[in-house]
Amino acid sequence: MENQFYTSHKENSEQLVIYLDPEVKADFSQSLPKNVTYTDNEKAKIAIHKKANRLWTVFPDGSHCDFPYYQKNLLSIIQGLSAQSEKSDLSHSFDNFIKTAELTEKKLFSGASLSPEDNVKDLWDEIIKKVNFISSQSQSLRSLMEKLLEVPFLQNFQSSIVLIHLKGTTRAELLGTVWRSEKIQGLIEVKEFNSFFNSIKKSKIKSFSSDSFPSLELPFNGSFLAKEVISRKYSLIALVSRHDFLSYSKDEIDLFETCISLLQPHFERLIDQEYSDKRVSELRVCLKDFPLPLRITDNSTGTYFLNDLFQSDLQEKDIFFNKKVNKSFTIDLYDSDELRHYAFDLFHFQRISLLGELLNTLRHELSNPLFGLKLGSQLFSLMETSKDNKDLMSEIEKNITRCQAIIENFSNLYQVETETKPVTIKKVIDESITLSKSESREVRKSIHFLSGCDDIKVELPMIFMVQILFNLIVNASQSLKGISTQKIITINIDSSDKFVCIDVLDNGPGIPLERQSELFKPFFTTKSQGTGLGLVLSRNLALKMGGNLEYLPSDQKGAHFRLTLPRP
Amino acid sequence: MKNILIIEDEILIQQSLMKLFERRGFTVDVSASGKLAIDYILNKNYDRIICDLMLQDISGFDVIEESKKKFSAAEISSKFVIMTAYNSPQVLSRANAYQCKLLNKPFDNLEEALRIMTE
Repeated sequence: MENQFYTSHKENSEQLVIYLDPEVKADFSQSLPKNVTYTDNEKAKIAIHKKANRLWTVFPDGSHCDFPYYQKNLLSIIQGLSAQSEKSDLSHSFDNFIKTAELTEKKLFSGASLSPEDNVKDLWDEIIKKVNFISSQSQSLRSLMEKLLEVPFLQNFQSSIVLIHLKGTTRAELLGTVWRSEKIQGLIEVKEFNSFFNSIKKSKIKSFSSDSFPSLELPFNGSFLAKEVISRKYSLIALVSRHDFLSYSKDEIDLFETCISLLQPHFERLIDQEYSDKRVSELRVCLKDFPLPLRITDNSTGTYFLNDLFQSDLQEKDIFFNKKVNKSFTIDLYDSDELRHYAFDLFHFQRISLLGELLNTLRHELSNPLFGLKLGSQLFSLMETSKDNKDLMSEIEKNITRCQAIIENFSNLYQVETETKPVTIKKVIDESITLSKSESREVRKSIHFLSGCDDIKVELPMIFMVQILFNLIVNASQSLKGISTQKIITINIDSSDKFVCIDVLDNGPGIPLERQSELFKPFFTTKSQGTGLGLVLSRNLALKMGGNLEYLPSDQKGAHFRLTLPRP
Repeated sequence: MKNILIIEDEILIQQSLMKLFERRGFTVDVSASGKLAIDYILNKNYDRIICDLMLQDISGFDVIEESKKKFSAAEISSKFVIMTAYNSPQVLSRANAYQCKLLNKPFDNLEEALRIMTE
């Protein structure tokens, strides 16, 4: 080898001859320096091949250097060689060249600053320039990932993909480009994302194969480069692939890592922007679909946002909720007859299921002590000989039985599942009266089955019916509080083939005519402690069951409500 | 039929039952703990063992399992009466496996319950 080298040197001391493999020649023929002779003879002293997407430069002594495959690098190599050859001191210069080249490469990829004389600085500049350019041009994460492939050393890569997990969310998102043009998007379970993220974080080489992560179902096969980024709000993995199975060189790995590090602030900016856009659009949808007519006024400009239910005939008097938000916005909610009931469903069901849980706990905790109390009182009443004490014990026992019954009833009532077993109206009414006993203690209840048959059955959720009747009985009892005569609640049950009507009447003051139209409006109440939701919820429940709840104005004294329920 | 053991950790229930049985002429031992009850069962002779399922230390079923050291399956089914407030399908199927009597707490009818426990 050494002999060959010296021979060549003597023959070609004036001009450098380099073999370029046809591919390299075709790729860069336009820009090759003219002061060098290029030959097709593979046995030339200096040869430059394209090998694994690298520029393989073989020197006369058989040693070689390789660089990432792009024009700037080729030109640097050729110019470097030609400068050395002009000094006609090739025996040392090739060694020197290799050393210089390695040093340059090292400097380049370690990010150390290079002196202006270093040819390769252009490449580094170009990368930085390009990265800055694409990031300023990108308005979305997707376009940033697309443009990433324009960065010089990534130009023969096929895919660039980013996986993002926003903290606190249950899924991670995958988006990017495969085959340089095909857009992809998908969701990944957080568990998968985390295990992927950790493998990448722990890896020292940052070069991977898609085979190693079968459960991720990456949209390409082959090896890829990946780099993880972690921030306060998200974790992110950026990856690029050539879609082949060759492993990546140290330089490509370093360059890629540097690139992603350079892009980090831009990731942050784009993610912030994208997800705040998403939040705004979600908020907009929520407001648009809000189940009550809604107006938000910008107080500084007087412009306002109206939702879908807002109708032009709504007036100031229809506003039932008004709130100023930080001085600049006012929110007005309007009452709307048809749609009112939707708004409270969620609230209502949350309350019921919470109550159900509480009652179950209470039941478990209270039933054993109550049972003990009952056994004890039964025992004493057996042992006691005086009639007075026996009566007292039996009274205690009765009260305990009542406690047990109430707990039992409540927990049956508040079972969250709304089973519909056939049930008699009589049982529904009895249950409602038992539950409302504390409010209606002094009130006489008079129940009449107008058809003469007290065995009328319905197949509706017991809990709904009891809640409605409970509400009506409690309302009636409260309205009777100031009455000095006998307080009476009359419940009349009538039925046809299709419906059962349950009329609840009282002999209280009734509802003044001017108030009657507001009865079923939310937050309308005449009681100091009332929520104004009882009748709204009751009517909604009745409608839900296919029935109705209405107020029947009458000439007679007292209020008259009618609950209509469908028969099976 | 003379000796009864009551295993129940709610003291009011335990003491009331004890007095009710004593009034009827039975000799009664009581235990609030499952482990103590096992000692009693292995060292003394009872005609009837009334056992709550939810005890503080171990479950009533554990007591029955330990009693297998002394009693045959037939003896277990005739001696033990299980008391429970939670008759879930799992509890019912396990109680059935021992073939012993099962009483729901609270008792619907005290006289009836006492009769079942002592017959």
